[in-house]
Amino acid sequence: MILEILGWVGYGTITYFILMQAYLVFLSLLSGAALRRNHHLRRFGRVGEMLSSRTSPPVSIVIPAYNEEMGIVDAVRSMSIVRYPRLEIVVTNDGSTDGTLDALIAAFNLEKVRIPYRPDLECARIRGIYRGRSGVDITVIDKENGGRADALNAGINAARYPYVFCTDADVVLDPDCLVHSMHRVVEDRDRTVGVGGNVRPLNGSRIELGHLIEARVPRPLIPRMQVLEYLRTFLASRPGWSWMNALPLVSGAFGIWKKSTLVEVGGFAPGHMGEDLDLTMRIHRHLLHANVPYRIVYEPSAVIWTEVPNTARVLRRQRIRWHRGLMTAVRDFLPMTFNPRYKQLGMLTWGGFLLFEYIAPIIEFIGWFVVPLAWMLGALDTTALIWMVLVAFAMGLMNSLIALLLDESYGFFNSPTDTSRLILMAAVENFGLRQMTVLWRIQALVGGQGTRSWGNMERRGVANLASQE
Amino acid sequence: MFSDQLVPVAVLVIFSIDAALLTGLVLLKSVHRRRMRSHNVRRQGYLGLLSRHISFDDSVDPITASMAEDPAFLDALIDMRNAITGDEISTLHRIVNHHGVIEKQMRYLDTSLLLSRRLRAAVALAELGDETAAETLMRHLDDREPEIRIQAARGLGRIQWTPAIDQIVSRFSDEIPWVRVRFSDTLIGYGIKATWPLLAYIRINHRFGSKGPALALRTIGQIQDDQAVAPLLEILEETSDLEIQIATVDALAELGSPEASAALHSRLESKHWELRAKSASALGALGDPSAISRLTTAMRDENWWARRSAAAAIARLPGGIASLYRSLDDDDPFAADAAAEALADAGELVSARERAKTIGADNEPLLAHMGSESRS
Repeated sequence: MILEILGWVGYGTITYFILMQAYLVFLSLLSGAALRRNHHLRRFGRVGEMLSSRTSPPVSIVIPAYNEEMGIVDAVRSMSIVRYPRLEIVVTNDGSTDGTLDALIAAFNLEKVRIPYRPDLECARIRGIYRGRSGVDITVIDKENGGRADALNAGINAARYPYVFCTDADVVLDPDCLVHSMHRVVEDRDRTVGVGGNVRPLNGSRIELGHLIEARVPRPLIPRMQVLEYLRTFLASRPGWSWMNALPLVSGAFGIWKKSTLVEVGGFAPGHMGEDLDLTMRIHRHLLHANVPYRIVYEPSAVIWTEVPNTARVLRRQRIRWHRGLMTAVRDFLPMTFNPRYKQLGMLTWGGFLLFEYIAPIIEFIGWFVVPLAWMLGALDTTALIWMVLVAFAMGLMNSLIALLLDESYGFFNSPTDTSRLILMAAVENFGLRQMTVLWRIQALVGGQGTRSWGNMERRGVANLASQE
Repeated sequence: MFSDQLVPVAVLVIFSIDAALLTGLVLLKSVHRRRMRSHNVRRQGYLGLLSRHISFDDSVDPITASMAEDPAFLDALIDMRNAITGDEISTLHRIVNHHGVIEKQMRYLDTSLLLSRRLRAAVALAELGDETAAETLMRHLDDREPEIRIQAARGLGRIQWTPAIDQIVSRFSDEIPWVRVRFSDTLIGYGIKATWPLLAYIRINHRFGSKGPALALRTIGQIQDDQAVAPLLEILEETSDLEIQIATVDALAELGSPEASAALHSRLESKHWELRAKSASALGALGDPSAISRLTTAMRDENWWARRSAAAAIARLPGGIASLYRSLDDDDPFAADAAAEALADAGELVSARERAKTIGADNEPLLAHMGSESRS
């Protein structure tokens, strides 16, 4: 009897993985169809049309900064030359204990001013507002520390324009990222409340003066694995979700939101470990309840580059934080799961998130023990086991290869070395690296010391990144 | 539990797909890159060839039929078309027509099943701007693909094909927003020829929905035709639709005619804050300093955005900066704040700093001034 149960659990675990990979392959094919159309349209003159049109809506870029002295000035400079007809930059100094504010004051000739500030969204106490005199349209909000979400809320309050682009201080923007993303707003201004962009790892690439000169795949395994992960997520999943108008997550590093909608839902939730996921889901829920026609879209041509963890220690902290954020979101939005009231979002994407993101580490962790045990006790047929594992592996590989193929239309990685590194990674990540991330996510589920705090990213500043790879 | 044959076959199939994907990826990387490089080299070569043909009537370098079939040749033609003016354009059109480039692109646009090829053809016809394509482009104003409708309108605008104006204007009400906006850009390119068709469209449609007429009004503003001022003032009097009133005020601001001043003054009393704010901005755009006193009163408006717009408008008027400095001592703290912000925006940061010193820039007084009205 026990043997029989062990056998069923063993087969069940592997079948679950095959189903998960099938879901991901389906999503990547859907994404491929969406991207193909986008690719054709992108080639023909949208950038020029958006730049020359006087109807392009103005945008406020909101950047929260906490102890970003090393990179904040380069980041703002790289943002100030983004090609877009009308934009302003709002930096929130979130009670930094280093010289972030001083660096900004010196670089942009800031002066403390008294101008109206509307606290539409709650945030920690504002200490002062600064305006630039250096030609860059920049406003700096100096406030007491309250975390990333709190800082974003303060920046949104100070934003003058109807669309806010929420990002981070450690990113490098592609010069046309706003044109591409705001094009989706102009396409359907009445319905579009949010646009997500394509976030790509920066590690290993050549950066000069805050600008990306050449994209490269990093040599170390940890960031290289993340390059592949990001490609799968941003090219082989999100376009498909967006196509169904059921995008559950607009990344915190690249999210453009209609300001009035953000104010309606109360902005970002301070203290939430997955504040971007929480915000996206709250906006969906709010607008679905209100029965308002809307859309939240993803634009793969709108690219930003960000530093990803370079060591296992930092990656562990990040993954634990992400999974805890997911856990809170799963708890908060549980009634939406497989609920037809929430349409494709509830039935397909949020359901898929729960089944294949939240539960996956638990099932895989159980599988690590049950499958070998059941096999040793003879409850699993050796041949069948090998075939099933091979199916799961081959489908995982397929998913990565489709993502790499989809990336080809963007042409960022051009050297044969980069391509072969990524292809190799698609196979290698299954042996050790993926298991490592599963273990961290289990730690997040179990909780305990070190899993409930944010931790530091140990940033080196965009300008110093490439040279140290 | 599962078929002994089925799973190995499935594994084989999936690995075969993996192998095909891998091969495709490697091929795409190597072949695509080589093709792109070769395409660019040929494009440069064709550009040189076309330059010689345009500059020298007796150029002996032949343009062969196979060259004319090459996509790089089409790109070079488009590059050249965007770089030349005057008589050189006629010479280029002779080359284009001699080699049947336009006919071929029209055929692709009409019959190809590939979206990429149809889009490319539409862009080529729009960029080359040849009158022989006008009828084809007119037909494709109704294409099922929005981007092709946009390119068709662009092409017609490029050759200033007058019969297309009415056709483009008449589609304003039914088009999707993105196409409508691009159509507006095309009509701006037509200049004053589009003014009366747009006005006629607004007159007929402004009672049946605001989206199309509002954009038509803003298009008129961008065209900058003074003859539109009187009809716009009539529309402003007739309509009760807020969005159309706002768009009309925007258009009047763009036209900058002093005739609109009285109508805008009266809109500062509107019950809609959006219209009050827009009218204040428009008065700033007209440049008439006699509006300063009325706008100073508007700086005490109950709505934040209206106050801010009035202050910004004053900053644009002759003598407005001095007036804003005086308003820093206004009894109404909201008006004083609006003046400080407008001065800061106008580069007069000293004033905002002084105000910070006077009132104290800590949190309490800052937040104490916030009202509850919404800002959008």
